[in-house]
Amino acid sequence: MKLRAGFFDFTGCEGCQLTVLNLEDEFLDLAGLIDVVEFREVMTGGGGDLDVAFVEGSICGPDQEARLKDIRRRSRLLVALGACADTTGINILVRLQDPEVLHGRVYGPGAPVRARGHPRAVGDVVPVDARVPGCPVDGGEFLRVLQALAVGRTPELPAHPVCVECKLAELPCVFDEGEMCLGPVVRAGCGARCPEGGDRCRGCRGLVDNPRSSSYRRVLEEHGLTEDDMLAEFRLFNLDGGGER
Amino acid sequence: MGERRDDGGSLWLPATEVDVHRFVRALMSAYEVVGARERRGRLILERLDDPSDLRLAYPPRVHSPKKFLFPNWEKLFRFRLEGTVRLEAEHAAPPRVLFGLHPCDLHAVRILDDCLFDGQPDSAYRAKREATVLVGVDCEPDDHCFCTSMGTDRVATGFDLFLHRDADRYLVQVGTPRGRGLLDRFAPGLAGRPGEPPLPLQPKRTRKRLVQPVEALASLLEEGYEHPIWNEIGDRCLGCGTCTLLCPSCYCFTVEDRLHLDLAGGERVRVWDSCQFDQFVQLSGGREARANQADRQRHRFFRKYKYLWERYRRTACVGCGRCSRECLAGIDPVEVLNRLLEERGVPGAGPPPGGEYRPDLAELVSAEPLGQGVKRLRLRLPRPVSFDPGTFLTVSVFGLGEAPFTIASAPGDGAHLELAVAARGSLTQTLHRLRPGDVVGVRGPFGTGFPLDEMAGRDVLLVAGGLGMVILRSLLMTLLARRRDFGRVVLLYGARSPGAFLFQDDLRRWRGGGALDVRLAVEEPSAPWCGPRGNVTRLLRRLDLDPGRTVAAVSGPADMYRFTTPLLTGLGIPPERVFLNLERRMKCGLGKCGKCRIDDLCVCEAGPVVRYSRVRDLKEAVER
Repeated sequence: MKLRAGFFDFTGCEGCQLTVLNLEDEFLDLAGLIDVVEFREVMTGGGGDLDVAFVEGSICGPDQEARLKDIRRRSRLLVALGACADTTGINILVRLQDPEVLHGRVYGPGAPVRARGHPRAVGDVVPVDARVPGCPVDGGEFLRVLQALAVGRTPELPAHPVCVECKLAELPCVFDEGEMCLGPVVRAGCGARCPEGGDRCRGCRGLVDNPRSSSYRRVLEEHGLTEDDMLAEFRLFNLDGGGER
Repeated sequence: MGERRDDGGSLWLPATEVDVHRFVRALMSAYEVVGARERRGRLILERLDDPSDLRLAYPPRVHSPKKFLFPNWEKLFRFRLEGTVRLEAEHAAPPRVLFGLHPCDLHAVRILDDCLFDGQPDSAYRAKREATVLVGVDCEPDDHCFCTSMGTDRVATGFDLFLHRDADRYLVQVGTPRGRGLLDRFAPGLAGRPGEPPLPLQPKRTRKRLVQPVEALASLLEEGYEHPIWNEIGDRCLGCGTCTLLCPSCYCFTVEDRLHLDLAGGERVRVWDSCQFDQFVQLSGGREARANQADRQRHRFFRKYKYLWERYRRTACVGCGRCSRECLAGIDPVEVLNRLLEERGVPGAGPPPGGEYRPDLAELVSAEPLGQGVKRLRLRLPRPVSFDPGTFLTVSVFGLGEAPFTIASAPGDGAHLELAVAARGSLTQTLHRLRPGDVVGVRGPFGTGFPLDEMAGRDVLLVAGGLGMVILRSLLMTLLARRRDFGRVVLLYGARSPGAFLFQDDLRRWRGGGALDVRLAVEEPSAPWCGPRGNVTRLLRRLDLDPGRTVAAVSGPADMYRFTTPLLTGLGIPPERVFLNLERRMKCGLGKCGKCRIDDLCVCEAGPVVRYSRVRDLKEAVER
């Protein structure tokens, strides 16, 4: 039994949908698992009942809330796809500014306001059955979540931090390179992609369920970081959940 | 004193760096060869595509052989779900050579063996273990290593081949017939070379050490279950599992099904797990045993140093330092254990078991040939010792063993000693190859030497044959240092040929100095020798000493005693004032091993210098 699936985008860059579309090698197998009946980026139409809805982007304002609630009503399962949907992602930075001023700066004075209010995570508006974290999502993880749903299993995300994946990949510790890294408190599953690429973990996948906040804070202090340094690093993706404020 | 030739049958073959790379290249035709190599500035343990990528001198920072012997995501079996369920065995393990493993990691493989072969052997591990050749290489400890405390800085077995570095070349030690076979097949040129004596294996030095022996840890932890230190490190721990993932002997795992995307099949795999992770120990209802990080860290320590020790008499830690080296929170097992050890103090039970057999480390200050295959070795001891001339020291080369040597120098400052060592067996050959700065183990001095008090005020006659001069040099230098306390001092010294006299510089100085009377004899003279011909008994026949005030000290081969003792007593020197050096190859120096007994006399305690009157009637002493 193939799942009737729909993909929906809200406030975000649509990079997560693009990641899904880029899974060319797996497309045939994917087509065996799901029938995509709604996907604005690649097709028109839709509106019927769904087995699973993948929702990308944060929810801004009453129009988007209403649209999300409609999707929820006709979907058996709803998945938050990507950081913006899962934790509000970088959209949450809006909270540090006046939305009106920001809107004017981005779109120009007098431009029609398309989305109002502070962005919210999908799970803050409707119940969510599963999450695919990350900015953007990891294609492999998307497939694992999808597969779990297809066979009726509760999808599980790694409970351990990114450090695990750095060690398994035999990568040097970012702290040894003299930089701050969020890896010790951020959920693994990305394969330590950013450290692998020479960057640090900036926390796009959100924190683990049980971040060792005080231990981590001590490590940061021992590395000479100030509270401002810490806040600046957490602010990008984890303004809400850092436990460091 | 002599030592038994015992190299354990192990073969040591010389090889250059080029030989090793050729060997690796040849191995690649039949094996996947894995070694330390660089990738983007980071050393990793990985398959080699080019033998020149192999790094044999590398810091102890790479993954352990666990990566290949007990891999993460190891497939246990495969299943197909088309129609009926079909289970298929996983493919056979590929033939692989792990080339260049440090001694600690080879020890860690034995821990994995202990744990995974216990009970029903883990066949997935066994398949990889049997298909994997282990080639060891020597290492340099870094600041996190504490292998010396765990006894894992050296490895005697558990490898197929081991590469010992020796200046600009290697000595390849063959550990198993499989290793020998690999050399025969893939490095025939190297395999055909004549073997060499084993290298003097220097004990390693590490900055980090446990303050007490590893045997103390199990009871220490037993007493320390409720110690606040577990909460302290639990508060610091990030729960990232790095310590266990990188540990070469941690093997706890979870099992998962990995389903193919088409849902037609998949694999059941085992994945490295960590006792430091959330949800490692789940109870029914989602509750978690060991729910806090303090309990988890305590469990890690208990497992490493207590539980597995009690089961296998081997700690599950090899002191590789990976856990502390990579721990962001700075949790360091040596710091934790030392704090507990120091708080407890030395247990009332006294010194650690086996302590009297554990040598101190002495440094070689200089080595110079004395001719005739004898070298004088000057050692600096870690702390000064006092001894009488005639006593002996045991010298250890770790991996080869220990042998007794009489001391060739006077007590002096007690911190420096000289030995005269003839290259006979593998241990003495090895001692000859030591360089200044190298380290050997020493125990002692042991035994009973010459009675200086009894010699005081009397004339002293020293009778030396061959290597027997070594012990008499110690006596002679002691007498000369207190020359006024003694009457006449006469040295009779016989050697096979003029070149066979030891300490020729000393002899020249003594003959010219007037403090003693030196008389030499040679059995096989050659020009320009114009002294007496014959053995030392010839010198005794013309002796002009007052036997009533003479003490004799005799040292040489057993044959010599047979001829000289009747002559000495015939001269009128009472047997209780004739002292013989009866060297035996004692093993313990503590009066226990029984190997140095002459009838009922224990040479290492009562000797090696004994009164002739004490041994005259012992059949084994002089007569045979």
